[in-house]
Amino acid sequence: MNQQTRMIADLDRVIHEPGRLMIAALLFAVDRSDFLYLQHETGMNKGTLSSHLSRLEEAGYIEVTKTYRGKVPQTLLRLTNAGRKAFEQYRRKLKEAL
Amino acid sequence: MDPVASLLDRPKFYRNIDGVTELGGGVLCLGCALFLWLQIHSPANSVWHRTSIFAFVGLMLVIHYGTKAIKTHITYPRTGFVEYRKRHRRLTGIIAGALGALVPVGLIIVSRRHWDITTPAALIGLVFAAAYAYQIARPVRWKWVVVWAMTLGSLMIAFLPVDVLGALANDSSAAHPVRAKLAGTTLLSLMIYGTMLLISGGISFWLYLRHTEAPAQEDQ
Repeated sequence: MNQQTRMIADLDRVIHEPGRLMIAALLFAVDRSDFLYLQHETGMNKGTLSSHLSRLEEAGYIEVTKTYRGKVPQTLLRLTNAGRKAFEQYRRKLKEAL
Repeated sequence: MDPVASLLDRPKFYRNIDGVTELGGGVLCLGCALFLWLQIHSPANSVWHRTSIFAFVGLMLVIHYGTKAIKTHITYPRTGFVEYRKRHRRLTGIIAGALGALVPVGLIIVSRRHWDITTPAALIGLVFAAAYAYQIARPVRWKWVVVWAMTLGSLMIAFLPVDVLGALANDSSAAHPVRAKLAGTTLLSLMIYGTMLLISGGISFWLYLRHTEAPAQEDQ
């Protein structure tokens, strides 16, 4: 396996999935956002978005906080430090591989 | 621009998705124009001269809490809440503060040296139009009309006879001709940019309300 092929194989598969890449990129640019914002920006339905968020949370890349906005429940999401590092590394590796 | 970079830019444009930033800017410009007009046309010992600072603080508070209320009650329930990174906000504040400080300094230098003040005023207008194009108009095609209108407005200020601008502020409190011209130029610039921002922000807000659904009272 040459070095370029190895680089592609080494890409973080949690972030590499297009849906999760969109979520990670959107969260990378902000401090935190809510579920509705991600749904609006990615165009995903609630189920798909929830499953991607669960996967990112399992990997320790995002932090999920359940709160209330008045009487309406609100889910706040933030990229953890590990998530930020993983995203930066993913971008760098992808650029190098391409 | 690669797709990831464009995704990273999306939250920046989300700030004005509802046009509230422009509405706030428009109200600020027109409010300052009104205050300046009152400052010029009221007698030096009037109540206005003693209380104008409170009016300005009041205007700032109305804009701050007004935009916050619109975001909280309309934008966040419709298209979601975003909290921006503090580091970026501080940097933007420093840049805006530095540019904001340069404008009055430049105008004071110009007025002291008796230069033609319409040229720097027009240049400031062009910088403002460029900043608007970069920060707000990039992702929204129709807003380029506003950019062109701002550019034309700036050029119009540059070509207007200075005496016409001075006539806008021709009163006893601005009896000094250079100061009168400076006040007239500032007044006209604030009115032009304020009106454009208000119209553009109003259209954006109307389009936002039309294209987004009112929030459903359910769990996210």
